Amino acid sequence: MLKDITLGQYYQVDSVIHRLDPRVKLVATLFFIISIFVADDPIGFIFLTVCLFAIIALSKVPFSFMVRGLKSIIILLLICGLFNLFLTPGDAIVKWGKVQITIQGVRAAILMLVRMIYLIIGTSIMTLTTTPNQLTDGLETGLRALNYIHVPVHEIAMMMSIALRFIPILNDETDKIMKAQMARGASFDGKGIVNKAKAMVPLLVPLFVSAFRRANDLALAMEARCYHGGEGRTSMKPLHYRRRDVMGYFYIFGAFAVVIVLHIIF
Amino acid sequence: MKPVIQTKDLVYEYYRRDEEGNVESIDTAVDHVNLDVEPGQFISILGHNGSGKSTLAKHINALLIPTEGTVIVDGKDTKDPANELPVRKEAGMVFQNPDNQIIASVVEEDVGFGPENIGVPTDEIWERAEKALKGVGMWEYRKKSPNRLSGGQKQRVAIAGVMAMEPKCIILDEPTAMLDPDGRREVIDTARELNKKKGVTIILITHYMEEVVYSDRVFVMDHGRVVMQGTPREIFSQVNTLKSYHLTVPQVTDLAFRLKEDGMDLPDGVLTRPELEDSLSRIKAPSGAPEMTPSHEEKKAEKSPEDAVLILDHVSVTYKEGGTETHALNDVSLQINKGDFIGIIGHTGSGKSTLIQTLNGLIPVTGGHVYFNGRDISEKDFDKKALRTSVGMVFQYPEHQLFETTVLNDVKFGPKNMGLDDKEAGLRAYEALKKVHFPEDSFDASPFELSGGQKRRAAIAGVIAMRPQVIILDEPTAGLDPAGRDEILGLIKEMHDKSGETVILVSHSMEDVAEYVDRTIVIDSGHPVFDGTPREVFSHVSELESLGLAVPSVTYLLHDLHKKGYPVDEHAVTVEEAREEILRVFG
Repeated sequence: MLKDITLGQYYQVDSVIHRLDPRVKLVATLFFIISIFVADDPIGFIFLTVCLFAIIALSKVPFSFMVRGLKSIIILLLICGLFNLFLTPGDAIVKWGKVQITIQGVRAAILMLVRMIYLIIGTSIMTLTTTPNQLTDGLETGLRALNYIHVPVHEIAMMMSIALRFIPILNDETDKIMKAQMARGASFDGKGIVNKAKAMVPLLVPLFVSAFRRANDLALAMEARCYHGGEGRTSMKPLHYRRRDVMGYFYIFGAFAVVIVLHIIF
Repeated sequence: MKPVIQTKDLVYEYYRRDEEGNVESIDTAVDHVNLDVEPGQFISILGHNGSGKSTLAKHINALLIPTEGTVIVDGKDTKDPANELPVRKEAGMVFQNPDNQIIASVVEEDVGFGPENIGVPTDEIWERAEKALKGVGMWEYRKKSPNRLSGGQKQRVAIAGVMAMEPKCIILDEPTAMLDPDGRREVIDTARELNKKKGVTIILITHYMEEVVYSDRVFVMDHGRVVMQGTPREIFSQVNTLKSYHLTVPQVTDLAFRLKEDGMDLPDGVLTRPELEDSLSRIKAPSGAPEMTPSHEEKKAEKSPEDAVLILDHVSVTYKEGGTETHALNDVSLQINKGDFIGIIGHTGSGKSTLIQTLNGLIPVTGGHVYFNGRDISEKDFDKKALRTSVGMVFQYPEHQLFETTVLNDVKFGPKNMGLDDKEAGLRAYEALKKVHFPEDSFDASPFELSGGQKRRAAIAGVIAMRPQVIILDEPTAGLDPAGRDEILGLIKEMHDKSGETVILVSHSMEDVAEYVDRTIVIDSGHPVFDGTPREVFSHVSELESLGLAVPSVTYLLHDLHKKGYPVDEHAVTVEEAREEILRVFG
């Protein structure tokens, strides 16, 4: 079940998007997220869809990979959609007793679904085309200014990249422990919240213990390799803006301007 | 020559504190160790778990600072905080767990991590990373994610990560303990090559005796002290002393030692197979054409369906992922009889793990049928939970599944899941813990406070407590030292011999399988290729080799002798059998 989450998994292929500076991709993602909440009419979304598909095509990541991230939250999406559909007040189009579907409800549900799906695909593109290290480098250099107000930017970036590195390992571990406990007769599909929570104990305790053990080992291994915080550290892949990155910013701001204009006109 | 590493009267004490922070007891982990390592040497440090060898290693890297005495690395005292980084740069360290020491998500970035930390300019980082990755033969994998690599490859990346800091010396702290035989060979070969070609000083900490054969100097540690030191030959000639420190010698050395005790004229401390063959041929020339070997016709147990506990009938398991199909198991038909003691062999990815998990229904089959006591387990009304408790499965590193507050409660978990009341579950748990010789005074201890070997016993008890009809153990000795390994295997044999349990042991140690089991099944590419007694299976030396599997080294030896024209029975698979054969022919 956890395996379906594509967030934080890098897809290795050589493409323009992969080669872009991570800062550009971070800014792009940010503006994309703002855009999907600014846009609230079909034309705006058609424009965003075109942008999204253009980027997916440029990234050379198979479309199925992007969609995989959606599988795990499909239930959540549907529930949210249904809530919007049935509980938005307005002009009813269908009515069964107290239950009604309004035109505003349909609109809200569709808008919400599209926004959520685009949000996930948008962020997936970033993580699929950027290695966690690039991503954290991007965050680190992009947010360097925050150092002056004593935000430990380097430490936060390092924690993020380590967390991302260990997600797949802990996924496998979860799988293994689950199987081991099932072999001892445990079942993880108990009825009721209390039973379900109880059934998780044999899974979560070993998982925490293992996470701590790994953290301990990793800290030791990092120290042994002279890690001593961000001070005096050089970078293997320092970030330099190139022509294509400048072009990237140009496209981002251009597209964002279009979104704003479309929003104002319609 | 000036030593690159020097320890003088090194003492390290662990303080055990109670909740208020008062010192409860002091453990001396390293006790007055004097060590001189010259540049370019290949040093091995041997010792059982808890002998203090890893604590010693951490001193060389300034991860630990001595309580007493000094450690000098490349002329720098590790006690001085200003020397911390220079020392760590000169003495790189590779750890046991391949997953827990790789920091980055791309191979090349991980190799760059060390140089980044010591402030190497960008261009030079790339040069160093390239050199380091080429040095360990991982250059083609530089863009890969570490998660896609095998254990041996991950360790080679870790070595490259250290090499990129251009250290004078590399300390490898049990780098092979969690690897399969292929991975072990990869790592040791890499270390030897770096030592020979680049002149890097290597300190290898291990409990696998085969790995130290090529080192210049061997140190044996026990209770924090260096108790033996010398060349491998000097060390391995003292077989009984080594055994008293809970260590074993390589099979060939052991065989030569026993033969010598039987009065044969052999040199001390034989290390390799060719050496022993040479010495033997000096004793007696081959008698020309090989005689017919005395036929050891073993009577095959009649397989009648009544004895069968588990039957696999044309079983296949196919995974589909993104359009590609992987056949984890391919048309497997097997019968497992009551009272069998089976060893399943195959290298990583051969399908052996999948095979055992189909036996208790954890992995559903995609073709064919699995019958348990005559019933098809894929039938809809078949009780899967009952099956899992009747076919007990001890996974690799089973201690990672412990979770309860006390050992007894943890062992009760299985019986309780079967619906037994607390009293009955307690009785079962007690019985199971007794069976694995778990010390009674630790029944109420937290499972997280136990030593590695005891944790494993507790975890095995957790499966036995369900009184399964079949017990499957996946690599039950992984990561244990020789003494722990023998204990666990002895325990398993006892369960089979005394209680008549049906036991399936998955292993990649040919020696263990040859020594303990009655029936061996070799799996390759999801299909059983050999099935018979260890003698029968191991007689297919060349076929097994082509599958990337090695036979026990004594079997190799007898094969070679047979080829040379000695009338030995080449089917011997254990040291004892080989000894008898050689005595018969050469004695």
